[in-house]
Amino acid sequence: MTGVENPVGTPPTTSAPARGDGARRVGVVVRRLVLSPAVLSVAGALALTTIVMIAVGVDPSLAYPALVRGALMDGNLEYTLAAYVPTLGMAVAFAIPLRAGEFNLGGDGQLSLGGIVAAALALHAGGSYVVPLVGAALAGALVAGLSAPLRTRLGIPAIVSTLLLSAPAVSLASYLARFPLAEPGTGLAQTPLLPESARLPAFGSSSYVTIALPLVAALTALWLYADARTVPGYEIRALGANREFARYGGVRVDRMAAVTLAAGGAFAGLVGGLIVLGPPYRFVDGALTAPGYTFTAIAAVLLAAGRPPAIPAAVALLTILQAGGQGMEREAGVPSQLTQIVQGLIIVIVSVAAVVRSRWTGRQA
Amino acid sequence: MNAFLAAVLTATAPVVLAALGGLLCSVSGVFNMALEGQLLWGAFTAVLFSHMTGSAWLGVAGAVLATTLYALLLSVPAVTFRADPVVVAVGTNLLALGLTAFLMRQVFGSGGTFSSPDLSGLPTLAELGLDLPVLGPQSPLVPAAFLLVAWAAWWLGRTRSGLRLRGIGQHAEAAESIGLRVPAYRHAAVLGAGALCGLGGAQLALGNVTLFSEGMSAGRGWVAVVAVMLAGARPWLGLAACLLFGAAEALGFRLQGLGLPQQAADAAPYLITLLALVVAAATRRKVRTV
Amino acid sequence: MSVPPHDRPVAGAPAVELAGITKRFGDVLANDGIDLAVARGEVHAVVGENGAGKSTLMSVLYGLHRPDAGQVLRAGVPVRLRSPADAIAHGLGMVHQRLRLFPGLSVAENVVIGAEPVRRGMLDRAAADRAVAGLSERYGLDVDPSARVGELPVGVRQRVEILKALYRRAEVLILDEPTAVLTPGETEGLLRMVREFAAEGVSVLLVTHKLEEVLAASDRVTVLRGGRVTGRFDTAATSADELVQAMIGRSLGAPPHGPRPTGTPSGPAEAMAYVLEVRDLHLRDQDGVAAVAEVSFGVRAGEIVGLAGVAGSGQRELVEAVTGLRRAGSGEVLLEGRPVEGGRERRVAYVPADRAGRATAPIMSLADNLLMGEQRGIRLRPDRMRQRAAALVERFSIRASSVRAPIAQLSGGNAQKAVLARELSRDTPVLVVEEPTQGVDVGAQERIHALLAEARDAGRAVLLQSSELSELRALADRVLVMFEGRVVADLPVAEATDERLGAAMTGAARPEQGDAEATG
Repeated sequence: MTGVENPVGTPPTTSAPARGDGARRVGVVVRRLVLSPAVLSVAGALALTTIVMIAVGVDPSLAYPALVRGALMDGNLEYTLAAYVPTLGMAVAFAIPLRAGEFNLGGDGQLSLGGIVAAALALHAGGSYVVPLVGAALAGALVAGLSAPLRTRLGIPAIVSTLLLSAPAVSLASYLARFPLAEPGTGLAQTPLLPESARLPAFGSSSYVTIALPLVAALTALWLYADARTVPGYEIRALGANREFARYGGVRVDRMAAVTLAAGGAFAGLVGGLIVLGPPYRFVDGALTAPGYTFTAIAAVLLAAGRPPAIPAAVALLTILQAGGQGMEREAGVPSQLTQIVQGLIIVIVSVAAVVRSRWTGRQA
Repeated sequence: MNAFLAAVLTATAPVVLAALGGLLCSVSGVFNMALEGQLLWGAFTAVLFSHMTGSAWLGVAGAVLATTLYALLLSVPAVTFRADPVVVAVGTNLLALGLTAFLMRQVFGSGGTFSSPDLSGLPTLAELGLDLPVLGPQSPLVPAAFLLVAWAAWWLGRTRSGLRLRGIGQHAEAAESIGLRVPAYRHAAVLGAGALCGLGGAQLALGNVTLFSEGMSAGRGWVAVVAVMLAGARPWLGLAACLLFGAAEALGFRLQGLGLPQQAADAAPYLITLLALVVAAATRRKVRTV
Repeated sequence: MSVPPHDRPVAGAPAVELAGITKRFGDVLANDGIDLAVARGEVHAVVGENGAGKSTLMSVLYGLHRPDAGQVLRAGVPVRLRSPADAIAHGLGMVHQRLRLFPGLSVAENVVIGAEPVRRGMLDRAAADRAVAGLSERYGLDVDPSARVGELPVGVRQRVEILKALYRRAEVLILDEPTAVLTPGETEGLLRMVREFAAEGVSVLLVTHKLEEVLAASDRVTVLRGGRVTGRFDTAATSADELVQAMIGRSLGAPPHGPRPTGTPSGPAEAMAYVLEVRDLHLRDQDGVAAVAEVSFGVRAGEIVGLAGVAGSGQRELVEAVTGLRRAGSGEVLLEGRPVEGGRERRVAYVPADRAGRATAPIMSLADNLLMGEQRGIRLRPDRMRQRAAALVERFSIRASSVRAPIAQLSGGNAQKAVLARELSRDTPVLVVEEPTQGVDVGAQERIHALLAEARDAGRAVLLQSSELSELRALADRVLVMFEGRVVADLPVAEATDERLGAAMTGAARPEQGDAEATG
């Protein structure tokens, strides 16, 4: 692999803005904001998207308002919020190992296994939603954790092994949902409706949003705190910044890499469980992977460009795009895959913007 | 047995083409993980151009051209701007997924799968008058894929530009200091990989079948990436890895006919590829510690 | 421009001339109106401290940088050098300090790449082998064309670099710090070779900071300081003192420490006890090849033991075993009588040679870098961390814009001081230091030497690995020399002359080895 250091895993720490008169400081802040890779990439991606729209004969002045309405108005906000929760969870699932320099591209597999395990436990173990959620997290941790010894003992990059394990995990979940756990008599690829006791309580009076929202938000906050303010968080960042430096400093690098991969997998498995235990309260084959949470989340994390506190905002932006895409399809007749195009472009542009900017600031230093 | 061998070659050919592209990039020092998206893009553009022109061969040419252009999305960021090729590849793979699904709806008016009687597929060698065993029912691109491997092995080892490409991958600074234009070679390798993926995609959509469906590359590009990791700079080893994958896929289809669940057949190629990777890594380790 | 454009060589003009070269990087003026001319068959030394502008100037000459002002003339003709390819086409050849070879290719492939002989569209390997063998014989370089470069010792690799330039018919040869990687014997051989090239009419630019070499091999000397020429001398008519004056603008101060007492501050009984003791240590590298064998020695409190040897003689592996980063094959490493455990040993402070690869994480902040090794418990206290960092910055006079800025922004000397600050501030009985002054300017060198002497006087046991023999002589009480994984000499500093160290480093000190590695 080229590139020893990992430009997205750890932020280039920037020095505090120089003290000066107020106007100049505002100017510095504004310039830094406008030139930040995130802003540049979103602007660039939107510009390119507009060009695509015009090229296929769609009027952007109709499409964009439809996008906003589809995401935020006409009662769609609740739906967008419901999509925000799993996307944020999957973003953390990708970001935790990334801080240690490992790519977890196996989110779909971890998500699906978590979901099917939660469904199985809810159907057959009885009781509340706690056991199914713990089981889901463990399942995700297990399948992601498999990549750790492959990486540390055999030198197989996690980005490859997580991805290769993902498809079989999705297949396994699909098999379980179609045969041993299938709803009898319907022939549909889904489990029976889960018992009331195991269903997640609604958040407020919402019919889509469950207590998964506060739960995921709290866990994300916990991770952000751990990353910035704890010794393990520091050691993980050091590992991602320079593996040999971390080893030299007494960090148990192999164990730490394994922990981050398993933790990421646990997060993804938990998200799978949260989806299944929420409406429509069953595991439907393909329903977890079809919305593309995993890659929307990856795009969001890369968009946050190594600044974890920016991840919730980046996820929000891309979820709005994603949800709004449906509205755009309904109202303006633009296929909703347009949002996937935007995400792909954002990742490409952000990767370039990050390098160009660090070179630019490097020359200033 | 002949039918099984034929199935293996059919399954292997697109992967071999993608892996060969990845190998050229790897030799030049660029880690190319964008093969999956490029195969998909190649498959789509092959169908698009074949449908537009009514000629399968123009479809192949269009796919090669369009995918070479698509590879600019990797080569410009990764080579010119020195962005992380892994991140760029994550982006271009996602983009290919969205772009093909989007354009499919715009151009063909529907999602899912597109096939049409107007769509002309590649002729088989038998139809071209070469009724050989095993190869007869294949498109000409299948033997071409294997001949390209031989050509690449010769070119890397025996020609001036091949030697230079190997040097650049080993030590770019050293190559620069003797006046080689490193970015030019790397651009060429990445764009060449794009052309090969275009060819692979065309074989997938116009040779193996005659249709396009969303996400039809189905992980073959990732298998190609693994094959490159296994092969290092040795094209023949890459071919062996691809054949292993092809055999797994063909065997999966066979077993499915015998009552194995479809999910197991879907999973088999990935698991076998991973297993090959593990075995290779483990033996390499053992050799080292003896 | 003062020189009218013309395109034919001018009789009697210098082989190469740099006229008024100015090169700026951001706010830094790396070269400021430098003039330099080298005659045909002349060995011209370019000396100066790190950061004086030598590398920039040579990069301009070799087409790696384009000057902001000034021009390069070959045989009196102005030439435009936009890339190394241009420089090569104009008969320039360069041997970089960090060798630029392809480890996986053969010697012959390395030499001809970029200018390969071709027959019927294919590489003509036989012709390449013949050409390399011919050149090798003509200049007495003794290199096997079919050997794989990655498997050759450093000294031979350097000769491959020289062959590369000769194969391209270089008439001007730039050697950038060529002796940094060589043993004293190899250095002597190289300098002899340089004189031979000059006798054949090749002009040689010898970039170095070692004055003995300048005086031994060059015809003329140009001294740079702060991007300007501060002196031009005929070698025959100058002295080391005069050159130093021009290099640093003053004479070197007194050595960083006075004559030291023969005993240690503590009692004689304690002085005898080894704080660090290595007993019959055997180590294998990751390929299973023996890297260290039968090594035994001890370091007492208040003592600096030097470790010398050609790169790759087992020093790195030995240091890793002492610091706990490598598991012993057999034998033991004892710290105050207790064995070193696996994982980084907390009782040893360690300054690694590889600053960007091991000693720091370049993209992390200075404060984050200063913390490594001292992180304990669960909570990180950023304010306390920054306070401690600020205190270290103050105490070790590290020049940094902010402790929050990435350490990559610091100069080599300041980054090294940061690493030393971190390690010296740890309360450990043993200090292990590798190449403490590599890539560090002369001013910082003095300060670093003083810090190491201070640590010794404070009663630490110091193991100092260095490839600068002068550094070992200035600081160490004893010098151990490693060759092929074994300690082949253990000399008190008074007996550690260049000749004896050099002989030991090439294995000549081992009776059964005889004068194997003979060079030149």
